[in-house]
Order: sequence, then C-alpha cells, then structure tokens
Amino acid sequence: MKHQKWINHILGIIVALAAWELTGRAMGEALLAPASAVAREFYDMVLDGRMLAELIASLRQMLVGLALACLVGMPLGVLMGRSWLADTMLHPWLSMFIVTSVAALVPLLILLLGTDFWFRVAVVFIASVWYITLTSYQGARGVEPRWIDVGRSFGAGALRQFWKILLPALYPFLLAGARIGLVHAIRAMVVAEMFVIVGFGGLVHTAGLAISTAPLLALLMMLMMVGVAANALLKLAARHVAPWYEERASAAATH
Amino acid sequence: MRGTRQILLYAISLGIGLGLWEIYARSLPGIVLAPPSSVVVRMLQGLISGELAIALLGSLGALVVGYVLAIVVGVPLGFLIGRSKRVSEMAEPVMNAIYAVPPVAFVPFIIIWFGLFFEARVALVFLMAIFEIVVAVSAGAGNLDPGLIDVGRSFGASRRKMLRSVIVPAALPFVFAALRLGLVRAINGMITAELFLAAVNLGKVMKDAASRFDTAGLLTVILLLCLLGLVTQEGLKALEARLMPWHIRRQQ
Repeated sequence: MKHQKWINHILGIIVALAAWELTGRAMGEALLAPASAVAREFYDMVLDGRMLAELIASLRQMLVGLALACLVGMPLGVLMGRSWLADTMLHPWLSMFIVTSVAALVPLLILLLGTDFWFRVAVVFIASVWYITLTSYQGARGVEPRWIDVGRSFGAGALRQFWKILLPALYPFLLAGARIGLVHAIRAMVVAEMFVIVGFGGLVHTAGLAISTAPLLALLMMLMMVGVAANALLKLAARHVAPWYEERASAAATH
Repeated sequence: MRGTRQILLYAISLGIGLGLWEIYARSLPGIVLAPPSSVVVRMLQGLISGELAIALLGSLGALVVGYVLAIVVGVPLGFLIGRSKRVSEMAEPVMNAIYAVPPVAFVPFIIIWFGLFFEARVALVFLMAIFEIVVAVSAGAGNLDPGLIDVGRSFGASRRKMLRSVIVPAALPFVFAALRLGLVRAINGMITAELFLAAVNLGKVMKDAASRFDTAGLLTVILLLCLLGLVTQEGLKALEARLMPWHIRRQQ
C-alpha cells in the first residue's frame, strides 16, 4: 500500500520530467531549456559556488525575518484564539493585512528602510507573520474545553494549565504555522531581492536576461529543492514532536 | 447584543490603530511616513479627479481575464487530479515542487514568452491564482464523502443526475474556498505584474509616488488594494451564503 504510493510519486516525477524534456527540445533553449540542459547548467553552477553562496546569504536573512514573525505571530495567534476581546480587537487588522499583497508594500518599505538587511527582513516578516498568526489562532480555538476542565478540576493553576495542556495541544499547529510561514517567507525573499536586484533574487533577475533559459531554470530548480527540503524537515519535526496529531495539523494547513 | 458590541470593538480597534499611526507619523521629522489623515484626503482627491479611478479600472482588466482563465482551467483540473487516487499521487510531488517556487521568479519567463504588456500581466495573474485553485480543489475533491456517492448510486442516479444533484452541491464549499484563496493571489499577481513588468495603471501610480518619495501616494494605492481585497472576499462570501444556505447554517 505504502509502496504503491511511492511508486506513483516517482512515476509522476518521471512523467513530468519527460514532458518537460520533450517540450523543451521542441521549443528550443531560448524559450524553454530541456531538463537535460538545465541539469548540466545546474551542475556547473553548483561547482562554480556563487549560486550557493548567494543562496545561503539570502536564506540567513530570510530566517531572521521568519524567526521574528514566529516570535510575534505565535503568541498573538494563541492570544486571539483564547480571548474573545483580543480576537475582536485584532481580527480586522488580520484580515486587512492578509489580503494586502507584499509586492505592493515593497516600494513603501524601500522608502522607509532603504534596501539593506532590515528592508529584506521586514518584507519577509510582513509576508509571513499573518499566516503564522492565523494558523496558531485556529489551533488555539480548537483546543478541547474538556481538557482544560480536567486540568482545572485537578487543581492546575493558570500557568500549569498553559504549559501542560494548552501548549502540547498547540505544537502541531505552531509547526504547521511555521511551515506555511516558511513558504510565504521564501516567496517574499525572492520578491524583495528581485525588486532591488541583490542576493539570490538578483541572480534570478540577471539570469532572465540571458539568451538561454537554462541558467534561469537551474536557479528555479534550486529554489524548488530548498522549498521542498525545508517543508519535509518541518513535517518530520511535527511528526517527532506530536505524532498523534499529524492528521489534524495537516488538515489545518490546507485551509 | 454580541453583534453590536463586536462592531463597536472593531471600530475602537481601528480607531486606536489609526490614532497611533497618526501620532507616530506626525512625530517623525519631515514626511518620512504620511499620517492616515493625509492618505484619506489623497485617496478622495484621486478618486474624484479620476486619476486613481482610471488606474484602478485599467488594473482590473488584466485581473478579471487572468482570474477567470485560472478558474476555467483550474477547477476542472483540480477535480481531475483529486478524483483519482493514482493521478493525485502522481501529481503530488510535482505540484509541491512548483508550489515551492515563488511566482515572481517566473517573471523573467513571462517576459520571454508574453512580453511586457497586457498578455504578460494576464499570464502572471493566471499563474499566481491557478496553483492555489488546483491545490484547494483537488484536496477537496479527494475528500468528498463516499457515503453521499453510494447513496446516489444505490438510488440509481444516472451519471448526469449524480453530477448535478450530488457531486456539485457537495463540492461547492471547497470550490468557493478555492475561489477566495485564488482571488487574493490574483490581486497580488495584478500589482506584482504592474510593478515588475512595464509600469502601468496602479503600478505606475506607485512607481511615480516612490520616485517623488511620496509615502502618502504609496499608502493610497496600498489602501485601495486592501479595500479591493476585502470587498471581493466579502462579495464571494455573500454569494456563497446565497448559493448554499445549508452550508452556512451547518457552520453556525
């Protein structure tokens, strides 16, 4: 059963690669470089080292923004989920920011912060914090009131209730929040960097000007791998921290 | 009772937020950050003089075309993937991989294929919206309650009857969820395209404002986009409530 699933996954990847290779050959490298040419280019770029250096520098800045977003978003979401007053006061802001596109904020942030480190951190922060808040909020709202009742009837104080009941129930949602936040953080990182043409996003921009699309596609493949790997890592962490919860948290992640 | 209190608290919260922003902006030297009062004045001026209204209408053109195309392609594709276990297992790793790439990174491609103008903007809106729609619809279609389908089958419903009376009503909730998610991304794509491709419409208003260090002008466009997002979300929610009152009742 489990076997069949993996076979299908691999089959799907093979079909997609074959379709890409054939279309690429038919259209030519200027329009769409075939998979084989991109693989060669990718190999050269990894050996060259510049791509990886830029990527690591960009990811480091992204992680600062994402960490700040988790630090602010998670407590905020839990607070909103547990307190009606906080929920009502903050919800209009949450729905407003979630519909606002990050790209539109970029020119404003450039005027306010310049184009250096803090600008990029701010873009990542703004792009991911609201999704992290929302996921933590959904988790905190869904905590069974009965569990808290049990804790109370066993005489647990507010602090103990929080550490022993609320927080363990929230782990999977907090991790799902971090995972969703990460997807948005990577997107925001590339938006910010393509706008001011620095870092990895700057490489993507420059590669777009080349005659062949192979370097551009190689960079996109790199982004794909980073995204998929980070996602898998966080999923693994979720399974490790709270294996009994995997289903529910992944259901929340799709909403 | 609770409703009016809620609205009152919304108003208080917005009031506090705007008040803090106003005080902070006025305390800064010069015009680093425009206060909300001047943003509102600018917005009204722009709408009355027509400059902002025309830019908005221009932007909406690419948005509507791209979003409708994404729905027309994305919803059936989502069903096709979601209804077959084998196809969805095959598509999963490929979709996850493409989903991990930010759509902006496809901008150089869009320029190569579609140029810098209307077609390119439509393409970016389409690209941003379609993945969200396909992912949401296929997840929902995979989770359709098999009990419903069995009941329909045991009552001898024909294929067409089955689709009309069982599948579509059961699917509407997640299709609407997909449409709402897709629309947020489509608006995002619209303004991204206008900033990254040839600057036109609202994107041009923003770029002009940025080159004059005019934060009030920038915030006006941001506020307008935010309102556009909120209004369209609420519109879709209202449509959803009209089309399937049973779903809303069940949620309450």
